[in-house]
Amino acid sequence: MADFTAEVFQNEFLPDGGTDVHAIVRVTSTGASAGDGSAGLTDPGSAAEVILIDTSGSMGRRGVQAAGEAAKAALGEIVDGTLFSIVSGNGTAQIVYPYSHQGALVPMSAHTRGEATRAIEGLRANGGTAMGTWLTLARQIFETVPHVTKRHAILLTDGVNEGETPQSLQAAVQSCIGAFQCDCRGVGDQWRVDEVRGIASALLGTVDLIPAPEEMAAEFEAMMRASMSRGIAASELRVWVPQGAELLFVKQVSPTLEDLSSRRAPINPLTGAYPTGAWSDESRDYHVAVRLPARTLGQEQLAARVQLSLGGDPVAQALVKAKWSNDDSLTTRIDPAVAAYTGQAELATVIQEGLAAKAAGQDDVATSKLGRAVQLADQTGNEEMTTRLKKVVEIDDADTGTVRLKKGASKIDEMSLDTASTKTSRVRR
Amino acid sequence: MTDSPTTGSPQPAGTASTVQAASAADAGALHCPTCGTAHPAGASFCEACGADLSAPTAGAPLPQASEAGTVVGSATPQTAPAGEESPLDVGWTGAVPSAAVAPAAAADDLTCRACGQGRIVDGYCDHCGTPPPDPRNHFVETPTSWVGGVCDIGRRHARNEDAMALSAAEAPGSRAVLVVCDGVSMATDSHIASLAAAKAARSVLDQPFPKGVGTRDAWAAGAGRALTAAVTRANEAVAGSVVEDVPNPPSCTFAAAVVEDDVIVAGNVGDSRVYWLPDAAAEPAVQLGRDDSFAQEQMAAGVPRIQAENGPHAHSITRWLGRDAPDDLTPHLTTVDATAGWLMVCSDGLWNYCSEAEELRTLLHEATAKLDGAATPTTVAEALVDFANEQGGRDNITVALARLAGRGSRTTTEAPAAAAPEEGIPSDG
Repeated sequence: MADFTAEVFQNEFLPDGGTDVHAIVRVTSTGASAGDGSAGLTDPGSAAEVILIDTSGSMGRRGVQAAGEAAKAALGEIVDGTLFSIVSGNGTAQIVYPYSHQGALVPMSAHTRGEATRAIEGLRANGGTAMGTWLTLARQIFETVPHVTKRHAILLTDGVNEGETPQSLQAAVQSCIGAFQCDCRGVGDQWRVDEVRGIASALLGTVDLIPAPEEMAAEFEAMMRASMSRGIAASELRVWVPQGAELLFVKQVSPTLEDLSSRRAPINPLTGAYPTGAWSDESRDYHVAVRLPARTLGQEQLAARVQLSLGGDPVAQALVKAKWSNDDSLTTRIDPAVAAYTGQAELATVIQEGLAAKAAGQDDVATSKLGRAVQLADQTGNEEMTTRLKKVVEIDDADTGTVRLKKGASKIDEMSLDTASTKTSRVRR
Repeated sequence: MTDSPTTGSPQPAGTASTVQAASAADAGALHCPTCGTAHPAGASFCEACGADLSAPTAGAPLPQASEAGTVVGSATPQTAPAGEESPLDVGWTGAVPSAAVAPAAAADDLTCRACGQGRIVDGYCDHCGTPPPDPRNHFVETPTSWVGGVCDIGRRHARNEDAMALSAAEAPGSRAVLVVCDGVSMATDSHIASLAAAKAARSVLDQPFPKGVGTRDAWAAGAGRALTAAVTRANEAVAGSVVEDVPNPPSCTFAAAVVEDDVIVAGNVGDSRVYWLPDAAAEPAVQLGRDDSFAQEQMAAGVPRIQAENGPHAHSITRWLGRDAPDDLTPHLTTVDATAGWLMVCSDGLWNYCSEAEELRTLLHEATAKLDGAATPTTVAEALVDFANEQGGRDNITVALARLAGRGSRTTTEAPAAAAPEEGIPSDG
């Protein structure tokens, strides 16, 4: 069985009158990987995968062909015994495989893999894009196997959702929360990052850009391999704060940025639960911020208990503390992990806001936001982000954040900057 | 995936918990002893009311299972409902003597003293997050009915660097030792050093003094020599409380009084004080000895007390115990023949708010009157500590008192045969 550990990085000392406690809690799992046998896929019915492929007219022949290759690569990674299904989506959604007499899902085997491959080869580009209908069908497929705890989907699209209203997409996404996890990929430069990010974020998955159709196969293979390695299905982060305290936010800050605050499900008046999705052998960092009524100097208080809970049982716990002190040398220090992730969160925000302003034609706002991003990336030595920013802006002075919007910056470069903005670099202890 | 929990998918929380509750009831697994809510076996605390469920069961999932678990392991699960313990019982009443109620008393120890509602589950309260009080931060000694004292952290300091050590024989006025040491707050580990000093001094002063020719003056001379020896031993204890040469070695003050057959001999180094506060208004209230402080030097030079004790360096002391102590550590010695009255040894945490002996006597009489029949040395000391805290509690506060009935009418004599340290020449060489 998997082992979870939780460790906390924080400066617990608050100055006189100080109220806000920030901490990074790192949760690490070992023995959770499905590949090592201990949590392995011995039961054929314990995991289910659905692949959602965009077959709208905009995909074109080349696009659908590449998507088919990608889906086949993903099939190669699905472990035998896993239940699976292939869905093609345009203005509506259809199950491509299994065939209707076989039900909505079939266990993977050499035989079914072959049948699925042939079914994929018959896909043709046609019609519009209504991702809400694809997600709804995926949910209905998963609902046929209520005993399966690990449910994962891959969604591929190349265009803007236009066959339905944003409200109906939103409603479809809401109905899928908790029903399955979904990693999303966009191909080309005609899809909207914020739209697809909204789906991935709500469904505890990742979002990324695939620049060219030829790169899809490798990406699908990697995504499916990652999903297959996750052996721990249902888990949640539980955060307790004391009576009278205010939980300011709970964010996942590594490997990607995700504000979990709005996903709180109350356990009791002092404790909330936040779904984490499935775990492989990995480490995730959470930023917890709590506001406490100030206590007198010398007093100590527990600011938060952060637990990882499996099926309702806490398996790891970290304690976030507060101690009021008049010693400036203690209270003025900012924990390096808290500082680094706070900086990365701000970087992500200004990049997204800057790109949105640019798209809206607000060049002044865009210049100022992206200038701040350049400055932050420079200050934190984030070379990867600096490189990406350079494709969108001309940097006059990174130190002061003085930039000019680059003329003729490619849409793909802007989109890749956008999707990369929420990927954080791990802070080392 | 066989190890995956089956009830813990994040979404259907309502139904899942109903199922859990029902199955728990079927198995008779666990009901909260306080509110009766059913829980699955292995739950560590009640999610409805926060009561500790780990005590009556084996195999609690968290390592922080309460210590009471070992005590009440053989008791029935209905023992000692937490809700029935009085939240008002927060005093230092010590162990309940009856063996029959010992398990209940042990369970009561886990009730949070700060809020009275939660339980200490992992070193902190599960309701308000407060840890159990550090006994070093507030302690009371009541060696006998006529001697008692309180040592308190105050309101502003992070640590209690004051220390107190008392001892007394049962017969009123027969024999008592009161020692107070105030650790210097800028130094390393002064809270350890001051307590070591106070205890070392008490152990010296607890020894019977040579009676000499049996006169009162001979005893007083012996007491003076013992106080000087106690300072030496206390000084060694302070120096010995740190292993190696630290940059900022711990240091502390010293104030002590020995009573034998209603004769008081007092001695001090630094700015902790001994006061004699007789009941009779005709008899003056006095500080015995004098401070080794910058303020005292200024007063000697003619600056009024109010001004000197509130000046910029008022709290700088000119003599102290510790590795970097000055060579001459002879205490200022005073002998008093007690009438009916109060002997007080205190730190500057009290006298900062009431320095003049006459005012202090008034304050003490008011406190005694307010306590009415409940006035004992300890309760009066508590009241004076409360007074200092109400004034702001800027420093640690220690008040030790002996209630003396007096045996004669001999008047106070300042520094008699024993010593004349004011001139820097100890009488006993």
